[in-house]
Amino acid sequence: MHSSLNPQSPPPDPTLVSRRRFLGFGIGAIGALIASALGIPLVGYAISPALKKKKEDWAEAGSVAGFQPLQPKKIEYSAFRKDGWIEETVKKSAWVILRDGGDVTVYDPRCTHLGCAYRWDESRKSFLCPCHDGVFDINGKVVSGPPPRPLDRLQAKIESGKLFIMEG
Amino acid sequence: MLDRAYQWIDDRLGIDPIIRDVVDHPVPEHVNPAIHPRSIVYCFGGLTFFIFTLLITTGIFLTMYYVPTPDHAYDSVRYITDELTLGSIVRGIHHWSASGIVIMVVLHMLRVYAQGAYKAPREMNWMVGVGLLMVVMGFGFTGYLLPWDQKAYWATTVGTKMASQVPVVGHYLLLILRGGEDLGAVTLARFYSFHIWFLPGAAVTLLGLHFLMVRRQGISGPL
Ligand code: FES
Repeated sequence: MHSSLNPQSPPPDPTLVSRRRFLGFGIGAIGALIASALGIPLVGYAISPALKKKKEDWAEAGSVAGFQPLQPKKIEYSAFRKDGWIEETVKKSAWVILRDGGDVTVYDPRCTHLGCAYRWDESRKSFLCPCHDGVFDINGKVVSGPPPRPLDRLQAKIESGKLFIMEG
Repeated sequence: MLDRAYQWIDDRLGIDPIIRDVVDHPVPEHVNPAIHPRSIVYCFGGLTFFIFTLLITTGIFLTMYYVPTPDHAYDSVRYITDELTLGSIVRGIHHWSASGIVIMVVLHMLRVYAQGAYKAPREMNWMVGVGLLMVVMGFGFTGYLLPWDQKAYWATTVGTKMASQVPVVGHYLLLILRGGEDLGAVTLARFYSFHIWFLPGAAVTLLGLHFLMVRRQGISGPL
């Protein structure tokens, strides 16, 4: 790269690439090839979890046989969860409301304010959160209190009397 | 551009003489395969080192997902191989390089032995080389257990059992290797620890000595 030039030799032609420089480039190119053959798999492997599509899955959450329309009910169900190489079933809960047309609404059981578990109050026909007095109506809308948004809905469907909730 | 960056650093640190000394020194004619094709045998040591760098790099990345406990080791290896993008390539490079380095070490050793290059004044470097051979064997032995599959488990059961044949202290050796009577969580954890900390530390130290001595003494002359 910085070859010491013999002072007697004529000044080098700047448009000419010296053999030394050419070979230097060659070695650099081969080195870069090897480095990327190794580097590309390594980077792909390291960022792989970010490239993965989230797997969505219906979890079976039991029968809705005894459910009254417009009568919110809290259910417990188990869902399959995959955490890297750890596969397990986790206990989950949700609030379920049957609608008149056979539709179903399912709410995440955590209050949208700071995540407390709320309950249904039949006399006031509202969901009440004990932590900071958040109140939601049966459609999940905030009636009063600090919650910033309506209750979170989970995608759900009923098939042959069984409730399915979307996971993930 | 690169030249200017180099110049900028050199102006401040004067690295030019160091760089020249490390990478810009002439290769002696008798070891240059471009002049004597049979001199390719002098590449074995360098190739061993090249594979070593592959192993270190892929090994560092493998620790990103691998977990050395009996309940996660097998599953995390399967996750690396089957579920991660290019994970099978990264693990594959580590796997094949592990065999490759043993082959290259043996070839390198045979060359040095056949040429008598271990003789005075290079005995010390031969001894360091033997130390490196032990380190490579240690890597192979400890790394073989880590996938925690049937082959790994039983190979290590047999391998550690061999140590118990040593007279008098045999059973203690077995207990030290396994960290208990049976192969289990303690065995896996200590094999992992050796594989990623103790042995790489030893390897890098010995390699440093190995290379320094080669530079100090030069490559032995033709037969
Ligand atoms: S957490 Fe429910 S109101 Fe604050």
